[in-house]
Amino acid sequence: MATSDETDDRVGQAYRRRIRTKIRTATRRSRRAARPVWDRVRFARQDLTAATPALPRVAYLFIAPFFLLFSVFLAFPVFYTLYLSFFEYQGVGQGSLFWIDLGPVYIEIPQIAQLNFVGLGNYARLLGNDLFWQSMFNTSYILVIQVPLMIGLALALALALNASFMRFKGVFRTAIALPVSANLVAYSTVFLLLFNEQLGFLNYVLAGVGLGPVPWLTDGFWARNTIIAAVTWRWTGYNMIILLAGLQTIPQQLYEAAEIDGANRWEKFRYVTLPQLKPVFLFVVVLSTIGTFKLFAEPYVITGGGPTNSTITIVQYIYRQAFVNFNLGYASALTVVFVAVVSVFSVIQIKIGGED
Amino acid sequence: MSGINITELDKVYDSGTEKVVAVEDLSIEINHGEFLVLVGPSGCGKSTTLRCLAGLEDVTTGSIQFGDEDVTDHRASERDVAMVFQNYALYPHMTVRSNIGFGLKLSTKLTGDEIEQQVEDVAEMLGISELLNEKPKALSGGQQQRVALGRAIVREPSVFLMDEPLSNLDAKLRSDMRTELQELQADLDVTTVYVTHDQTEAMAMGDRIAVMDGGVLQQVGPPEEVYRSPVNQFVADFIGSPSINLLSADVEGETLRGPGGFTYEIDDTEPVAGHDRVRVGIRPEDITVVDSGQNTADVTVVEPMGNENFLYMEMDGHELTARVDPAIRPAEETQVSFDFREAALYLFDAKTGDALKTKTDTVDPAVVGTTED
Repeated sequence: MATSDETDDRVGQAYRRRIRTKIRTATRRSRRAARPVWDRVRFARQDLTAATPALPRVAYLFIAPFFLLFSVFLAFPVFYTLYLSFFEYQGVGQGSLFWIDLGPVYIEIPQIAQLNFVGLGNYARLLGNDLFWQSMFNTSYILVIQVPLMIGLALALALALNASFMRFKGVFRTAIALPVSANLVAYSTVFLLLFNEQLGFLNYVLAGVGLGPVPWLTDGFWARNTIIAAVTWRWTGYNMIILLAGLQTIPQQLYEAAEIDGANRWEKFRYVTLPQLKPVFLFVVVLSTIGTFKLFAEPYVITGGGPTNSTITIVQYIYRQAFVNFNLGYASALTVVFVAVVSVFSVIQIKIGGED
Repeated sequence: MSGINITELDKVYDSGTEKVVAVEDLSIEINHGEFLVLVGPSGCGKSTTLRCLAGLEDVTTGSIQFGDEDVTDHRASERDVAMVFQNYALYPHMTVRSNIGFGLKLSTKLTGDEIEQQVEDVAEMLGISELLNEKPKALSGGQQQRVALGRAIVREPSVFLMDEPLSNLDAKLRSDMRTELQELQADLDVTTVYVTHDQTEAMAMGDRIAVMDGGVLQQVGPPEEVYRSPVNQFVADFIGSPSINLLSADVEGETLRGPGGFTYEIDDTEPVAGHDRVRVGIRPEDITVVDSGQNTADVTVVEPMGNENFLYMEMDGHELTARVDPAIRPAEETQVSFDFREAALYLFDAKTGDALKTKTDTVDPAVVGTTED
């Protein structure tokens, strides 16, 4: 302010005086009787902390629950699956695996299952199984079309939502991301109805413009595309949100520098957006690939794997072997192969996209 | 040749619900090869002005001319400007080599070899040849700064725009780069507009400096003129370190009567004619400590700088700063008398802040040495 008068100086002085007073009070503990209750709580906590002896290695106690749950529900099943893949499952276990007799205490670990060792027999069996190859083909087909389609769409939507001229960003963002909250079975059922050949809305619309009914669910080719459409509908918004978050972290100044360097819209996308988005993009690609590889609920509900197994996915095949036919050993071998394939895919993607 | 002509530039940000005037009615003429510094406190509109020059912001009204060409509606890429950003804005995924060459690759028809050659020439000029294959994140702040400069220089633009390019460097490096930047600009003879909030930088670097406040240009002139003859209290207060001492005083004939018993007799009453109250300004270096005098103040803090001492004093609650000889070191909490010459006195209108009187003592800058060209 050019016209500042003495008030400025006076304000400055009062401020300094206040700071001085504050410093004085902060170094002393308030002795007033009516201390607010939250202060008393804080003082009590400070006193307790000071009085409590430091327990050595107490941190391990805090992280123990995770490792306990992890080993029971994740590590053990993973290793047991690997173990199981070398056996033929013959029924629920009877008798004990081993026991420990400590006199008054008798510990007995029951046998989980009755198993018959077959070595690499399960692996040999799956390599020669047509349905295994069919399910691998179906999964790969859906993957190769669905993942690029979905990520392309998600990127386009994210770019549009990130554009400065865009209005009502929040509304669109929410609307596009909403499908991810849909229940898997519920939305699959909706797709089942939409794509129904006789009564479905889609064929009704197509008929309206003079196109014949498409066998969405009864023809192998179309059934796979129906699955692709459903999965894409559900997950595009999710990926868009991640990509949008990535776009928003790109510093505006890089675009300005590029603008001054003479870049046009495409060149800015090519030389600033894409390289800056690379880590997020890679994350989305890897996650989507794994997600689609694990596809199960949609074909299970919409097509049931049909017609004639033309939409059965690898996980659906594993499910059938494990829980319909109770070939637990064989299903375990399938699972091991499945995990190996997904891992190899992910490692390749990260190797290609992840330098520096 | 490319000077810059800014005419009645207005920049208003209109969010639909409220309008913010960032720059108001700004007109400056910048000569070819001149180094003009835009300086002011944050939010004064200096960066906005620079961004308007760059073409990163549309102007609301007014025009911008580079040489004879009206560039008001040109895109940034069509203006032949180069800009150095405060955070350097280097492309993180590109090597130094690609960073510097990027502009040439996009906006010229030079071959790859020619670009390579120019990049290497510029890198050598800036002493960063050995860094050409590094990525920006492997470089120190000072090195990144050089790369950003290189990116601007290699384009051989008609105008350099610099947005606080030195403010992320440590003090030592900053003053080194300051000198280097000035030499570079003088060698290249490119019109340069430089934005800073640091008045020392402005004084040190500018051929002329333009002081802005609240979106309005206050004064343009050579550093010394702005320092010695500020047009108003704001400019006087902003330029100079430590800041000018300002206090309000009543005018009673030839006597100025301020707080804490401050009185000063002036010989020339013409500047204060018609004013009963003025703002008095005294530069810290113009205050001399005397054995006995009319005005006294209490010393609160003494900062010995080695070559001089800063005395922080209080006069009835008003702070007063003096820059004195290192031999003068009064004890803290003691009272000293001080005086100053009328020629060194600044007077401002108490209401509008406009200057009534500025320094009238003469300084003869003795020219030593000869110019080469």
